[in-house]
Amino acid sequence: MSLLTNLFGKKSSSANVARDRLKLVLAHERASNALPYMEDMKAEIMEVIKKYTQVKDIHISSQNNQNIDVLEMEIILK
Amino acid sequence: MGIVITVTSGKGGVGKSTTLANLAVGMADEGKKVVAVDFDIGLRNLDMLLGLENRIVYNVIDVMEGKCNLTQALINDKHSKNLYFLPASQTSDKNVLNKEKVKTLLDTLKKEFDIILLDSPAGIEGGFEHAVAFADRALIISTPDVSSVRDADRVIGIIDAKSEKAKAGEEVLKHVIINRIKPELVERGDMLNTEDVLNILALPLIGVVPDCEKVISSTNLGEPIIRDKNVQSGEAYRRISKRILGEDVEYLDLSIKKGFFKRIFS
Repeated sequence: MSLLTNLFGKKSSSANVARDRLKLVLAHERASNALPYMEDMKAEIMEVIKKYTQVKDIHISSQNNQNIDVLEMEIILK
Repeated sequence: MGIVITVTSGKGGVGKSTTLANLAVGMADEGKKVVAVDFDIGLRNLDMLLGLENRIVYNVIDVMEGKCNLTQALINDKHSKNLYFLPASQTSDKNVLNKEKVKTLLDTLKKEFDIILLDSPAGIEGGFEHAVAFADRALIISTPDVSSVRDADRVIGIIDAKSEKAKAGEEVLKHVIINRIKPELVERGDMLNTEDVLNILALPLIGVVPDCEKVISSTNLGEPIIRDKNVQSGEAYRRISKRILGEDVEYLDLSIKKGFFKRIFS
């Protein structure tokens, strides 16, 4: 940054725009790609539950808070 | 016992093979016994970067399928006696690699070499999986542009999912190399800077390589630029090689030295 832009406030440079766009798109992609094994795991859990009762659907969501990763599972029975 | 280092990137064309060729020479110059393995099956190109394309008889698939033994396929570098190269096959059948065979090959190489560098294909398909499955470490190459950083992020997320080491509860050491950075553009605010890229990827840095026209002629000649003692990018590769081997080396100063007036009016 030059002295003038430092003095009179930052103009929005293309690098700043790139950074913000990347952060946004990656926040979204990370959430949806975080667990590549999710589909397989879902199917397997479904099979296990079917042995005991009737199941309609399973929703698994992942959350991370600081350094704890949590998987939340919701099993909807028929 | 050697270690397996996979050089990878999400996007193609960011300088993965060039980086690998230079680091292979760099670590061999540091006295390590190095083998560079081209795992980009079907699309052979590491051979040209190393200037060894005329000496290929057998390839990595021939070794894995037992058509020849390892010593027949390994090519010793012209200049570095510590450096060996194992070429990719040119078959278009992407399914020729199989996990068990890859493991056997790497276990054999680990007994003979200190460093096994794997050139992974771009993308996240089959070949990539084999290249990361048995990696001890990974170097992720990205240029400072949005598509390259985005794809690098995707690859980083997949490495652990495909790694045997991660499955066993151990961690694959991952580092970022930022390639082709242009200090003038960064200064002007028209290119992501090193901190931006690291913040976004949330991984430690192991090197920054400045954009350099001479890389093109070095590729033309098949002489990795690291052998040129007067070029900044060559120096960057030398320092990265040392860092990989555990040495604490200062980063290159890539800042632009400008005069007073230019600093005010630019």
